[in-house]
Amino acid sequence: MKILVCIKQVGNEGEINRFDVHALEEALGLKDQLSARLSKSVTVDVATVGPPEASKIIKRAFGMGADRGYHIVTEDPEYVSSFVTATRLAVVAKKIPYNLILTGIMSTDMMAGQTGPMLATILGLPCATAVIKTSLPTSDNLIEIERELENGFRDCLEIQLPAVLTIQAGINTPRYPCLSKMLAVSQKKIASLTEADLFPEPIEAREIYIGLEQPEKTRSGRELKGSLSDKAEQLFGLLKEKDLI
Amino acid sequence: MKQILVIAEIFAGQIRPITWELAAAARKIKNSPPLKQLPPAIHIIVPADNPTTLSEKIAKQTGIDVIGLQIPELKTYTSEIYIYCLEQLTKKMNPSHILIAHTSQGQDFAPGLALGLDAASIPGVNGIRSDENGLIYSRPAFNNTRNMIVRPTSNRPVVLTLMPGIFKQDGRKGGKPGQVDIRKISFAPAACGKERIQHRRTMRKVCENQALKEAKVIVAAGRGIKGKEDLKAVFNFAQYFPAAAIGASRPLVDMNWIGYQQQIGMTGATVAPKLYIACGISGSSQHLAGMKDAEFVVAINKNPEAPIFRHSDICITADVLEFIQAFLEASG
Repeated sequence: MKILVCIKQVGNEGEINRFDVHALEEALGLKDQLSARLSKSVTVDVATVGPPEASKIIKRAFGMGADRGYHIVTEDPEYVSSFVTATRLAVVAKKIPYNLILTGIMSTDMMAGQTGPMLATILGLPCATAVIKTSLPTSDNLIEIERELENGFRDCLEIQLPAVLTIQAGINTPRYPCLSKMLAVSQKKIASLTEADLFPEPIEAREIYIGLEQPEKTRSGRELKGSLSDKAEQLFGLLKEKDLI
Repeated sequence: MKQILVIAEIFAGQIRPITWELAAAARKIKNSPPLKQLPPAIHIIVPADNPTTLSEKIAKQTGIDVIGLQIPELKTYTSEIYIYCLEQLTKKMNPSHILIAHTSQGQDFAPGLALGLDAASIPGVNGIRSDENGLIYSRPAFNNTRNMIVRPTSNRPVVLTLMPGIFKQDGRKGGKPGQVDIRKISFAPAACGKERIQHRRTMRKVCENQALKEAKVIVAAGRGIKGKEDLKAVFNFAQYFPAAAIGASRPLVDMNWIGYQQQIGMTGATVAPKLYIACGISGSSQHLAGMKDAEFVVAINKNPEAPIFRHSDICITADVLEFIQAFLEASG
């Protein structure tokens, strides 16, 4: 079985989007179990789109146990349309017939949650988002999963592989990267692909980024000032006044 | 004529209330300055295996024309049936805007539908306004600390998923019901021919936490609590208030520090206590959706930039554990 995990660098250099870490852990967990219980050979590859320094997250993924890495090197402005990212990732996803493609439910910076389902549409694959549980696939062409709905509800789905799943936090506890694997990283190959080679014509974004602003306040937000004990006393007084204590 | 299309949210054969918010947002878009000159028509699409009753109800409640999209194969929602059938229907309708709920269901099918229609796709919209070039949309980004403002590239339809609780229902009562038109589209994709996603069952992990729903005071803990053992301090704090219940934000539940029945937010409980004390909760939109109806909100957070402070009556910038200790000392 071949699994591809799409990961993204967010925040500090070398930091993997936390939902993608859960996706990678889920892939590695499936690999561990499939090889231990069913003696199946499983490979877990990772792919990322990002600036040159984003190769650090691939090394981190190797430290967790990933087998191969693909890096589509881009020099993007701050906003990238999900459609553009999905189109780029589709190039890697088409290289090998992957049985399963995983990614985080969203990135913590863009918070769009669209790359996974758009990648599925481009590849013509079925997709489930907000996956909170996977069962061990008994064959290379079927997986049972649970996806999270509102108010504690879950849908249990049986999905034909190949498929794309986006992974919700809470599905697993990610392992820490192993130092010896991190040190052995230099031997492993990261396939770097450049944007210009892959796409002679630039991919047209479907949204235009205008800017960032502070979200609106919905309440007065009175700030208590002074030392810690001043603040504590003020709160005590306020709650007393409102008859809440 | 251009069309604003609303996809009603149907769950377990019922109309989800966010459908009324989507209808209100559609009216807002229709009446917005950039579109007022040539206002588009609005249609609400109701996908179901037997959509007649649901469609009539929605047409009556909203006064908007409804298309009941009859999909014989649709026993329970799956993304592939929705994407295929909605694409077949909407691509012939010349849509300018397609409005979908930003819920587990909407987020699951909206991106695929957008690609099928070569549309722009803007998820999690929490504001709609216009500038000199037309309508622009805001949506949360960077862990809810910022809103990002975007617009679709020109002449493309746009698929918008709308955050629940933002676009208030317009409280329309009575009036002429919209017309209902039933159209049948079978799920028959050329590529695979059959369903690749089979819905097995819908289950509920735990029942609703009645204690949390009824509590007058809720003391809720979030990621600002650094270790599981530090939760004790929050429990002590809660004991100070008569009949207080303990709540938590999602990350603590994900880490198994506290049970799911304590989770407050979109995927947990929705609460409305008299007093809500958020201890080390950053304030993701997913959490805010669960506690925005609290009467009085106090937030304690070390980070002065924490989004929760924008949605609090009282803001206390402090380490949670240190503050709790100071509070217990101050109160004697």
